[in-house]
Amino acid sequence: MAEYHLSTPLSEEQIRDLHVGDTIYLSGQVFTCRSRLHRWVFDEGHASPAAAMERDALIHVGPIVLREDGKYQLVSFMPTSSIRFEKWGAKSVREWGLRMIIGKTTMGEETMKAMRELGCVHCSPQSVSPNLWCDSIEIDDVELFDELGTIEATWHMNLNELGPFVVDIDTHGRNLYDEHRDEVDANREAALRKLGIPEDFEYTRLY
Amino acid sequence: MILREQYEQVIFETIRRGATEISPDVLAALEAAEARETSNAAKMGLRRTCDSLLQSRVRQNPCCPDTGWPVFYFKIGNECRIEGGMMALEEATRNAVRKATKMGYLRATMKHPLTGYDPGDNIGENIPNFTYQWVPGDSLQVSYVAKGGGSECFGGTRHRVVAFADGIAGIQKFVVDSFVEATRSGGICPPNVLGIGIGGTANLAANLAKEAACLRTVGSHHPDPKFRELEENLYEAINSLGVGIMGVGGKTSVLAVNVEYAYTHIAGICVDISSNCMVARRGTSVIHADGTVEVLTDPKWFGDR
Repeated sequence: MAEYHLSTPLSEEQIRDLHVGDTIYLSGQVFTCRSRLHRWVFDEGHASPAAAMERDALIHVGPIVLREDGKYQLVSFMPTSSIRFEKWGAKSVREWGLRMIIGKTTMGEETMKAMRELGCVHCSPQSVSPNLWCDSIEIDDVELFDELGTIEATWHMNLNELGPFVVDIDTHGRNLYDEHRDEVDANREAALRKLGIPEDFEYTRLY
Repeated sequence: MILREQYEQVIFETIRRGATEISPDVLAALEAAEARETSNAAKMGLRRTCDSLLQSRVRQNPCCPDTGWPVFYFKIGNECRIEGGMMALEEATRNAVRKATKMGYLRATMKHPLTGYDPGDNIGENIPNFTYQWVPGDSLQVSYVAKGGGSECFGGTRHRVVAFADGIAGIQKFVVDSFVEATRSGGICPPNVLGIGIGGTANLAANLAKEAACLRTVGSHHPDPKFRELEENLYEAINSLGVGIMGVGGKTSVLAVNVEYAYTHIAGICVDISSNCMVARRGTSVIHADGTVEVLTDPKWFGDR
C-alpha cells in the first residue's frame, strides 16, 4: 500500500498504477458535482459545464461556500456518498473523461466497469476532518450557481496536496469495501451466535 | 414571560453551538476509540476527526458541512409563558435557521423532494421540524440537532415489525443485520451513535430511535436493567464486527447503543433503528423565567438521561 502525490491532469498510466488501499494526495484543478448536476446533464440533456469537459478529477461534495467581497470563501468540505450517483456513474466517467472521483462510500458494478475500461479510480476519506482539508483548497469559480443552488453547483477548485484519501476502487477490478465485507460477514455470524441467535433463526412472517 | 427577542437569539446561538462545537461526551468517546485502536489507519482516521472537531470550535465553522435536517426538540415548562405563544416560537426558530444558514453555520441542504429546488435557507414544507415535551416548571429548553444525511439516507435508519414470538433474538438480529448492511461502504459514517426504538406504533418507534440516537449522551444507560442489558449486549456485538471508522476496519463501530421503548400491541413489535453520525451534533439551552440562560451538555430528554 503505497502513497502517491498526484497532480491533474492525470495520465491513464498513473491511474493504472494505483491499487486498492493506496493513499493519495491530489493537487491541481478539479470540479464538484452532486445529484442535480448529474440529472441536469444526463437526464435533462443540458450541456455539461465547461469544467466537467476540461478537468479530469471530480469530487462528489457539497461544500459550504460564502461569497465575501466578490471572493469565495470555503467554510467546510467533506466528500459525500457516491453510491447515490450510481445511475449516472458510468456516464460521468465516459462523457467527462474522468481519471479520478473523490467521494465517499463506493460505486456500483456499472461504474466500476467503466473505470476499469477507461482508467479511472474512486477514492474516499477515512476521517471526517473538514478543517484538515479546507486550507488545501482554493475556489476559483462556479458554474450553474443560479440554476442548481449553492451546494449542487459546479465549483471549480484548485487543490494543493488535498488528502489523504484511500483508493477504494482501482482499475484492476478490486473494491476495498467488497473485500472488507467478507471479514465483517464472518464476524457477524460470530456476533449473532454470541447474542444467542441460532444459525437457523427465521423471522415469523407477519406480512 | 420569556421575550421573543431573547428566545430567537438563544435559539440561533444553540444552532451555532450545535453545528460547530462537538459535545464533550461525543469527543471523549472518539478519543477513547482512538486509544483503543491498534490499526494505524483507524487510529489516524479517529485522530484526524478529533483534530478537525477541535479546530471547528476555534474556527467556528461546522463540524461537518452536511448539517442535514434542522431538527428541534423543546422541553416546555407547564407554567412557561412565551411571548407571542407557540406560533411565534416556531417563527423565531425558522428565522434563526435562516440566519444560521446565511452565516455559513448551516449548509443550505434542505430541498424540494421531487424537483430538487433549493430555497437556499433550509426552510420549506414541514422543515424545520419540531417536537415538544411538557415538563413541570416555567423554563423553556431548546435542543437543536443537525441530523446528517449520511447516517439518515444510507441504511442507518430502518423499520421492521418483529413478532412477539421471535422475542429479543428477533430484535437483536434485525439491529445487527441492519447495521452491517448500512456500513457496507461506510455511508453512515461509523462509528455511529445507534438509537433503537422498540414498541409503540411505527412512527412512535421511529421517533424514540431518533431521539435515543440524537439526544441521549454517549455513556448514558437505560435505567431498566432489561434494556440496559440489551444496550450493552448490542454494543459488544456490534463492536465485534470490525466495521471501524468509515467502514474500513477497526475496533469501534458504534460509540453507543441507546434503547428506548413504548408499551405496544404485541401482535407485532415495531423495531426502529436510527444512526447518528460519528460527528453527532446537538446543542441545548434553557431560558429560565427570570431571563437567565443556561447552556446544557445533556438535554436529559428521557427523564434523567
